[in-house]
Amino acid sequence: MKDKIGKKLSGAEILLEQLLVQGVDTVFGYPGGAIMPVYDKLYGYLDRLHHVLVRHEQGAIHAAQGYARIKGEPGFVMVTSGPGATNVITGVADAMIDSTPVVVVAGQVTTGLLGTDAFQETDLIGMTTPITKWSYQIRRAEDVAWAVSRAFYIAASGRPGPVVLDFTKDAQTGLAEFQPCHCDFIRSYVPVPEVPQTAIEQAAAMINAAERPFVVYGQGILLSGAEKELGDFLDKGDIPAGSTLLGLSALPSDNPHLKGMLGMHGSIASNIMTCECDLLLAVGMRFDDRVTGKLEKYARQAKIIHIDIDASEIGKNIPVDLGIVGDAKQVLARLTPLIEKRRRSAWEHRNEECDAVERERVCLPEIAPADGPVNPGEVIAAVAKATRGNAVIVTDVGQNQMLAARYSRFSQSRSFLSSGGLGTMGFGLPAAIGAKIAAPERPVCLFVGDGGIQMTVQELGTIMQEKTGVKIVLLNNNWLGNVRMWQELFFGERYSCTRLLNPDFKMLAAAYGIRCENVESREELAPAIERMLADDAPCILNVHVREESLVFPMIPPGKELDQIMLNTQDWYSYGK
Amino acid sequence: MASEKLYEITAYTENQVGLLSAVAGIFTRRSLNIEKLLVYPSRIEGIHKFKILTRTDERRVKAVVAQMEKKVDVVKAFWEVDSERSHKEKEAVEDFLQHRENQSKTAL
Ligand SMILES: Cc1ncc(C[n+]2csc(CCOP(=O)(O)OP(=O)(O)O)c2C)c(N)n1
Repeated sequence: MKDKIGKKLSGAEILLEQLLVQGVDTVFGYPGGAIMPVYDKLYGYLDRLHHVLVRHEQGAIHAAQGYARIKGEPGFVMVTSGPGATNVITGVADAMIDSTPVVVVAGQVTTGLLGTDAFQETDLIGMTTPITKWSYQIRRAEDVAWAVSRAFYIAASGRPGPVVLDFTKDAQTGLAEFQPCHCDFIRSYVPVPEVPQTAIEQAAAMINAAERPFVVYGQGILLSGAEKELGDFLDKGDIPAGSTLLGLSALPSDNPHLKGMLGMHGSIASNIMTCECDLLLAVGMRFDDRVTGKLEKYARQAKIIHIDIDASEIGKNIPVDLGIVGDAKQVLARLTPLIEKRRRSAWEHRNEECDAVERERVCLPEIAPADGPVNPGEVIAAVAKATRGNAVIVTDVGQNQMLAARYSRFSQSRSFLSSGGLGTMGFGLPAAIGAKIAAPERPVCLFVGDGGIQMTVQELGTIMQEKTGVKIVLLNNNWLGNVRMWQELFFGERYSCTRLLNPDFKMLAAAYGIRCENVESREELAPAIERMLADDAPCILNVHVREESLVFPMIPPGKELDQIMLNTQDWYSYGK
Repeated sequence: MASEKLYEITAYTENQVGLLSAVAGIFTRRSLNIEKLLVYPSRIEGIHKFKILTRTDERRVKAVVAQMEKKVDVVKAFWEVDSERSHKEKEAVEDFLQHRENQSKTAL
């Protein structure tokens, strides 16, 4: 690296040198005409940059997202112009809404051809501006190091997100003197706002005055590394908490303050406690409608404090009594010394009645049925048991996702990976590849539906080539399960276009040289999971699960949080 | 809506290609009509200024301004009810830039 400093290099080589400066060691990519000068230079860097050749650019970006979220560092993607660039767009939008740091470099036609509809030219900046933190077109080799360092700084700082660099071919081939760049300041961009002491004191006073405070936290805890600060805060105040989907694993599942996941398929307790608290303290979350239910009725009885690093989130969906724009770790660390050490025993145990109902009426029938077909939740609970909560759990989207969120167990942070805000089917398989590359020493288990796996199933080729030891648990119900469920519950059982005729997944796996077992019955399940986890090789468990499965509890869309379905007939009976 | 008024939004920005469409997109996405738009160099060296008139309510104008400030190249954004405009923004931006300048020195 050192011997290149001050030398005249091509823009393509400057990109690779600057990637090394940024600490990048993995490139998720796919070559093509407009990015070939970079791929040509990459040939000489493959000892330092591990290039993962995906089978579709959507796979590259989801893998980079998985890598970023498990590793806590930006993922890096490189693709060609035109179709290569448009193929990453779903993942860029996903990374934006789920605050995931990724940097995408896409080739672009020569500057002289811009705006001429040249072969594989597309207005990538125009298309990605609304779904990135920053999009920039590099038109000169002189700007490469600057743009790349700025891209990584923006992607990773503040509320993280995706950055797109549109790299013209003449900027790749042009020469410039290489000087490494280190961006850590942009005057118009304040990633971590300062929090005045008065705001901290005001929050502490509100917490100390509260009899029934309730914390709702999200991915902001993981992103700011505030796991310990959150735990200490809850311990000192004896305050219960609920997690969003993306906040899962920030606290270990057995933390006594944790009352479960919030929202539509969350725990009864966390939703009821949201309705009963006198102070709601939201940290690093954004009040998504899947969490709040009917917005106008959300926690109306409570005072609300919202702590988030993104100023535009404060008051966006929910009017708040106090908004604090800052880093969750710093704010919690300053707040804890100011709150009173208290016991709030009765309130802390409020969940018990709810949990008993949930266990009897929902969980046991799902995970421990006496007979009948294998339930999807049963599979997830069995994997949780076999991995003792130590695996990285990846999901696709649909019933598999909600059940994995409900029945997985976590003993350490950064152990849950799922497409939350965008709900992108096809996310799971490539994201699991990225996760395994980020944490090769940990077991990585993917739960995926038969619909979702076929959206990015070509990435089995990447697994074959890279020998990525992902454990794929296919919850195969021959339906687009989640949509079928909504048709049953809300559309008069009119099953319009949701039945799937599936391939023989075992033969498909065999074509890729991946071991696959079919599981048809309850007796086969635990031994098959044991065999799957016995080594570190890629493996598919094709589990034939109950076809007409439903996920409960469920707060129907647009309903208030205390209107909770336990099954198709019964509602949680709740009288305030 | 009853509470709709004409608001003037002012944004001070870096002079970057593409910022106009980024800013316009914030309005399009919320189906807000831009009644008037001016973009010109401000009286602060190197800083550009957007003036946008739009008819909406206070909640939404706040959201729009927050989204504008979130753009990396936007320095600061303000809103006022058009009929009650004051002109304190330039000083606020200069103070902000001075503060950031000091921070950049301590950062290094
Ligand atoms: C790209 C994309 N297309 C469509 C949807 C809508 N959708 C949400 S869940 C779902 C069904 C998923 O079925 P499957 O993958 O088999 O998983 P299951 O729900 O059965 O676990 C669909 C179609 C989506 N979320 N993403």
